[in-house]
Amino acid sequence: MDRTKPRLIGRGDLLAALDRAVAKKVTIISAPAGSGKTSLLRAWADRPGQPYRLAVMQVQRDQHDAQQFWLALLSAVRQASAPTSRTEPPAATPDFNGRAMVDRVLSELADLRGLLILVIDDLHELISPDALAQLTRLLTNLPGDAHAVLATRRDLPLHLQQLRLAGELAEIRAADLRFSERETRELLDASGVALSDAGADLLHQRTEGWAAGLRLAVISLAGHPDPELFVAEFSGSDRTVAEYLIAEMLERQPDDVKDLLLRTSVLDRVNGELADLLTGRQGSERILLALEDANAFVVSLDPERTWFRYHHLFADLLRLELRRALPAEVPGLHRRAADWLIQHGHIADAIRHTQAAGDWPGAARLLADHSFSLTMDGQAQTVRALLRAFPPGAPADNPELALIRAGLNLARGRLDEAAAHLAVAESHAETTPPDRQRRLRVAIASLKLSLATRRGHLASVTEQAKFLDSPVTGQSDEDIALDNDLRAVALMNLGTVEASLALADAERHLREGAVLARENGRPYLEVRCLAQLAFASRVRPFATTRRRCQEAIALAERHGWGLEPWIAPALITLAANLVWTGEFGEGERWLQRTERALQTDTGPDIRLLVHIVSGMLQAGRGRRHEALREFSAAEHLGSQLADSHALASQVTGWLLATQARVGLPGEARASLAALDDERAGSGEVGNARAVICLAEGDPAAALATVTDVLGGAAPVIGYVTLVETYLLAGLAHRELGDQRAAHQAAERALGLAEPDRLVLPFVMTGSGELLEALPRHETAHAALLADVRDVMRGSSLAAKDQSSSPPAEELSPTELRVLGYLPTNLSRPEIASELSLSVNTVNTHVRNIYAKLHARDRSSAVQRARELRLLSAGLTR
Amino acid sequence: MRVHLPALDHGFMDPAPVQYTIRIHGHLGATVLSAFPALVPQHHGADTVLTGLLDRSALYGVLAEVEALGLELVEIRQLMPEGRSPESGDSRSP
Repeated sequence: MDRTKPRLIGRGDLLAALDRAVAKKVTIISAPAGSGKTSLLRAWADRPGQPYRLAVMQVQRDQHDAQQFWLALLSAVRQASAPTSRTEPPAATPDFNGRAMVDRVLSELADLRGLLILVIDDLHELISPDALAQLTRLLTNLPGDAHAVLATRRDLPLHLQQLRLAGELAEIRAADLRFSERETRELLDASGVALSDAGADLLHQRTEGWAAGLRLAVISLAGHPDPELFVAEFSGSDRTVAEYLIAEMLERQPDDVKDLLLRTSVLDRVNGELADLLTGRQGSERILLALEDANAFVVSLDPERTWFRYHHLFADLLRLELRRALPAEVPGLHRRAADWLIQHGHIADAIRHTQAAGDWPGAARLLADHSFSLTMDGQAQTVRALLRAFPPGAPADNPELALIRAGLNLARGRLDEAAAHLAVAESHAETTPPDRQRRLRVAIASLKLSLATRRGHLASVTEQAKFLDSPVTGQSDEDIALDNDLRAVALMNLGTVEASLALADAERHLREGAVLARENGRPYLEVRCLAQLAFASRVRPFATTRRRCQEAIALAERHGWGLEPWIAPALITLAANLVWTGEFGEGERWLQRTERALQTDTGPDIRLLVHIVSGMLQAGRGRRHEALREFSAAEHLGSQLADSHALASQVTGWLLATQARVGLPGEARASLAALDDERAGSGEVGNARAVICLAEGDPAAALATVTDVLGGAAPVIGYVTLVETYLLAGLAHRELGDQRAAHQAAERALGLAEPDRLVLPFVMTGSGELLEALPRHETAHAALLADVRDVMRGSSLAAKDQSSSPPAEELSPTELRVLGYLPTNLSRPEIASELSLSVNTVNTHVRNIYAKLHARDRSSAVQRARELRLLSAGLTR
Repeated sequence: MRVHLPALDHGFMDPAPVQYTIRIHGHLGATVLSAFPALVPQHHGADTVLTGLLDRSALYGVLAEVEALGLELVEIRQLMPEGRSPESGDSRSP
C-alpha cells in the first residue's frame, strides 16, 4: 500500500512512541472513538521500511462469537508467518474449544523464528467474555519473540497485572493521540488547505486536537471558498464537533455522493454492486474509490479495493442522519441488502438485515433454513446471537425457532432444556405450512436421535432413525442439501450408538455418513464419522483399526481439529490398540492426547473409555492398585448410562479380577454375587471368576470355569478374551502340576495373540513364569514371546521406538519375511523351505538384513529388528 | 414457551426505572439527539443535559451510544424521588 494518502500525515513523534511501546510484550492503545487509533496503526504498519513482521486483524463489529474471533486471529498469525504458503484457512467447528485454540495459537507463535507483532484493532467490539478471558491467557503467555498491540475504545477487563508489574505493558491513551498544533498545521498543509496560523490555532482549540474532528474539518476545508470563515463559524458554534462537521461535510457533497453515504450506512461493509442496489443508481464503485482517496472515513478492506467500510463513528452518525432524513426508506434498504446478501451466501448478515427491517417471520424462516448449516460451519454462537435479537414473545412458539433453541442447548449438553424446546417444536409442528412440514419433521427426528444418543437411551435410537429410509424426492436442491446434512448427522448418531452396542451395522452407517458428508462438503461431519468408524473398527484386525484411527486423526489435523473432543473416539481407540500390543509409551502419549481433547467434554460415554484404557495401561505396567482405581471409575460411569454399553462385561471382568489380584478376593466374590445373570454369564466375568478361584487357592475350580468359557458356553466380546482364558487355564494347570497341559494352553494363547501381536493379556494375567517354563524349541511364536518377555521385564516396546540409533535402511518385503523367521530356532535351510526359496537366496537376504541393520550376527539382528519394531509390524502390515 | 431468565425474576437485579440526568459537552443537534429518543434534551451553557427515566440496561445503552458517537460525557446523576433514599429501592427484596 504505497498509494499517496493525503489523509495520513507522518506523525513522527507518535510513531516513535509506538515503536518504544512495542518493545514491551503488550501495548494497549485505549482512547475514545475518532482518536486516530486505526490511522496510527495503519501509518505505523505501512511506513516504508517497516522492520517488524505484523499479524494484523480487526475485530468485527459486535463480535459475540469467540470462535470467529480466534479463527481470524489464527489466520492473521499464519498469514504473517508464511505469507506465501497457501495453507487452508483454519476452519470452524460446532464444538469450539477456546482453551485448545489458545494453545494452538501459542504453539504456532512459539514455532516462529524472529520477532512478530500481533495487532488487534477495535478490540472493544469483542463482546464475548470467554474470548476476553482466553485472550488474557494468550497475552500473559506470549512466547519470547511475540508481542501484541491492542487498540480499543475503552479499557477492557483484561487481567494483565502480571505484565504491568513486570514492566511489560505499555499504554498509549487519548492524550497521547491528540494532534499537536504543529501536527494540525502539517495536516492542513498536506491537504492543501490554505489557512492562517490564527485560523489553524482556532481549529486546533475547537477540536482539542481530536483526530476525527480535524480530519472531518479538512474534508470541508479542502476547496472551501473561505476557509477562515468556515473555522470562525465552526468555532462560534456550540454544537458537538463531530455532528457539526459531518453536517457540513455532507452539505458540501454532490447529491449522489450524499445519498450513497446515507443509504449505504445501514451496511457494515459495502461494495459497488450493493451500493448501486441501495441507491438505485449506477457508478457507486467509482464514488467509493474517490471517497477512499479523499478522506480517512472510507477504507477499502481488500487489496483489490472492492469492499469498503466506513469509520465506525462516521457510519453511526450517517445512520442517525438517515433515520432522521429518510425514515420510511430504512426497512426497504435493509430488505434489499438482505436479498443481495442471501444470494451471495452471506447468510448471517442477511438474517441481521431482515431483523433490522422488522420482518420477524421472514427472519425466523431464514434462520430456520440456515441454522443447521451455520451450526455445522461452526457459527453456533452467531446463531445464538441472532436468536437473541428476536423480540421476546411473538415468535416464541414458532416451532422452527424452538427447534434451533433445542439444537443449541443440545450442543452445550443441556439435555433437559433441549428436550423442552423439542417438545414445543413438536406440539406446534401442525401450524407449520405444509411445504415446510417435512423438513421440520426430519429435523425433529434428527435432534431426538442426538438427544437419545447423549442420554444413553440406546435401545430407543434405532427406532427413531426410521426416517432415514424415507425417500428424498420432489424437493428443491436446497431441501435435498439440507436433507443430506441431516441424513449424514443421523447416520453418524445411529452408527455411534450401534458402535457402542457393538452392532454390526455401525461400520456401514458410519461409512455412508462419511461419504455423504464428503459429497456435501462438510469436512467436520466427515471427520466425526471417521472418528467413530475408527472406534467401531475395534473388532477388526489391529492393523485395520490402527490405519482407520490414523486416517481419521490425519484428516482432523489437516483441518486443525486434532484436539477437538469429537476426535477422541479415534484417539482413544488408537491408545487402546497400542496398549494391547505392549507399546505402553506410545499408548500413554495418545491417552494423554485424548484427555487433552476431552477437556471440555465430560460425557460418561467417552470418559468411560479413557478410564478403561488407563486401567489397561496401569495393569500392563504392573500397577495393580492404580489399575483397580481406573476400572472402578469406568464401572461407575458405565452405571450412569441408560443401557449397558458394549464393553460393560469387559470392565466388570477386569475390575473383579484386579480386586482378586491385589488381595481382595472376598470383595471380588461379593461383587460377583451382586451381578445380574447376563453379566455374570459373560466370558469376561468367567475369566474374573477363574482369577478369583486362583487367588483363593482353588485351581480346580478355576479350571472348571475356564473350561466353560472355552467350550463356548459364555458369550465373549472378542478373541482377546479367549487369550486371557487360555492363559488362566495354563496357570490353573500349572498349579495342578500338569506342565504339559499348561504348555499347551500357553501355546494356544500365543497362537491366538500372534496375528495382532497382543502382549497385554500375558502381562495382565501374570503369566511370566508360565511362559518362562515354555521350552524354547516348542513354541512357534518366538518373536511374540520375546516381545512379551521384554514388556514383562518392564520395558515398553514403544520406548524402544525412540531409540537413538540411526534409522535402518528400509528392508524389502522379502527381507522382512525372512527377518520374521530369525527369532525362531529354524535353520537357514528350514527357513528356505518355509518360504519356498533356495538356501542361497535366503543367505543373500540374511546378509542384506545384517548389513542394513548394522548387525554382526543373528541375535544382534533380531535385537535390532525388535528395537525398530520391524518384527511385530512385518506380519500385520 | 417461557424461557427462564433469572435477571427478570428478581426485582433487585433490574430495579424500576429511575430519573437520570446525563450531561454532555457541546450542543447536540437533531441527528445525534435521534440516538436518544427516550431522553429530553436541554441546553445548559455549552453543555446539553439529557433527562429521562431509565432502567439499568437502558442507561448502559445510552452510555454505549455516547461512546459510539464520540461524545464527551461530563456527568451522570441519578435523581431520587422525594422522600426516598437510595437504599429504599432494595427494601423490596427479601
